[in-house]
Amino acid sequence: MDSISHLDPATMEVLTALEASRISLRKKRVIHLAICFTGIPIAIIGFTFTTLPVIAIGIICFFAGLISISVNLGAVDQYRLDFKQKLIAQAIKMIDQSLEIDPKRGLSQDEFFGSLLFKKKPDKYMSEDRVSGNAGKTKFSFSEVQAQYKELTITKKGTQETWHELFCGVIFKADFNKNFKELTVVQPKAFGSDVAEWFGSNTPFFSGAKERVRLENPEFEKNFATYSSDQIESRYILTPLMMESICRLNDRCKDSISLSFVGNIITIAFPLTRNYFEAPLFESLMTDDLMKEDLNLVRHIYQVIETLDLNTRIWGKD
Amino acid sequence: MIIALIIIIVIAVICISIYNSLIAKKNQTDNAFAAIDVMLKKRFDLLPNLVETVKKYMQYEGDLLTKIVSLRSRASNPGLSNEEKLSIDQELSREVKGLMVNVENYPNLKADQSFLNLQNTWTESEEQIAAARRNYNAAITDYNNAIMMFPGSIIAGMMNYTPKTVLSIPETERNNISAKDLFNS
Repeated sequence: MDSISHLDPATMEVLTALEASRISLRKKRVIHLAICFTGIPIAIIGFTFTTLPVIAIGIICFFAGLISISVNLGAVDQYRLDFKQKLIAQAIKMIDQSLEIDPKRGLSQDEFFGSLLFKKKPDKYMSEDRVSGNAGKTKFSFSEVQAQYKELTITKKGTQETWHELFCGVIFKADFNKNFKELTVVQPKAFGSDVAEWFGSNTPFFSGAKERVRLENPEFEKNFATYSSDQIESRYILTPLMMESICRLNDRCKDSISLSFVGNIITIAFPLTRNYFEAPLFESLMTDDLMKEDLNLVRHIYQVIETLDLNTRIWGKD
Repeated sequence: MIIALIIIIVIAVICISIYNSLIAKKNQTDNAFAAIDVMLKKRFDLLPNLVETVKKYMQYEGDLLTKIVSLRSRASNPGLSNEEKLSIDQELSREVKGLMVNVENYPNLKADQSFLNLQNTWTESEEQIAAARRNYNAAITDYNNAIMMFPGSIIAGMMNYTPKTVLSIPETERNNISAKDLFNS
């Protein structure tokens, strides 16, 4: 189904045009790289024999190659954008007609921090490729997100800056099928969280921490730690069926997911390492596996609504 | 001498912590039941509107409606104990479930917007009460664990704290619902 042979004639025409521009861009890139890398041995020979004109030719070649690559970057960006807007946009409609991709939009930094899934504010933040649509009655969207934070350490030599990954993957947001006012966060269970919880609940000195919600499903409790500002509302959201569905969803993912329920919105963070929806430059577009991984991701996220049964709206919310 | 003093202080701090923690857990169980109470009140308040809406359409369910009204007036009695409130709620849930099944025989009622809203609110309140009951059971389990486990059991014994019972569903509701029985009744 994901094979390019299933594309309609109009999309196939787009693919052919994209392949033509890819070949042309690749050719230019190879020539520019060749000019650049030819300059290095020429300059080395020039330095070895202290011949000034040879050194000059080498340096000119190197910089000419670099400049040509950077001048051509705009065309490569346009090709990548066209791949998303013309090809991916059509392909995802095979999953659901309502699906749209906006490569230039993503999850805002405020939405990212407002989801309450992350304790630190990112110092470097990048989000793109927002896919949005409706699955039945449920509006949803998801975007690729990369967030990092820096840590400053004071050493004898001065201040040292270290960058750490806060999150890399896809963040999914959807309209939840129940109304709620309070905040509930479900996080993968961290090492030592049970000990921290014991201290939090058994000693008054540590009781200022977030309120942990202890739920009945043993598998859910083994994998996740739930925190909420309202014990009852968190149980209203996390029904026994919902807990089972979350476990099932988590089993389908390589790395553990995190969820939050804030302002009638469910947010799920899926940690992933791959950058999706990117057009290849050095590999042909005319292969059957071209969009396989991208469409698998869209299908996987689209199925979240069915897995969590978000279309059942019998609790006073349409 | 100093070591003995430190040991006494440490033991005293531990005892005070356990004592305070037991009181907090006991209060938590009372608070959790109060939350169920609030939810029940909210649900009981829905009943007059529900009865008013359905009685316009359901000509043959007079007995059922009278029973629901009578349960509602019993529920509004201020002197009821917790157990009595829960028992009335269970009886009411059963009757309203029966009412919802009979709605199938009244197409005009099924199409009535205010009835549909009430039905949704009723379903929502059921789920909220279920959540409140689960919260109460979690608070009771936490309290029971604290008073039955060492060293809490020693101090709980001195405070005359006894284990509390978790809420469970009645035996009749534990059996799987048979659609056949439901429609034959």
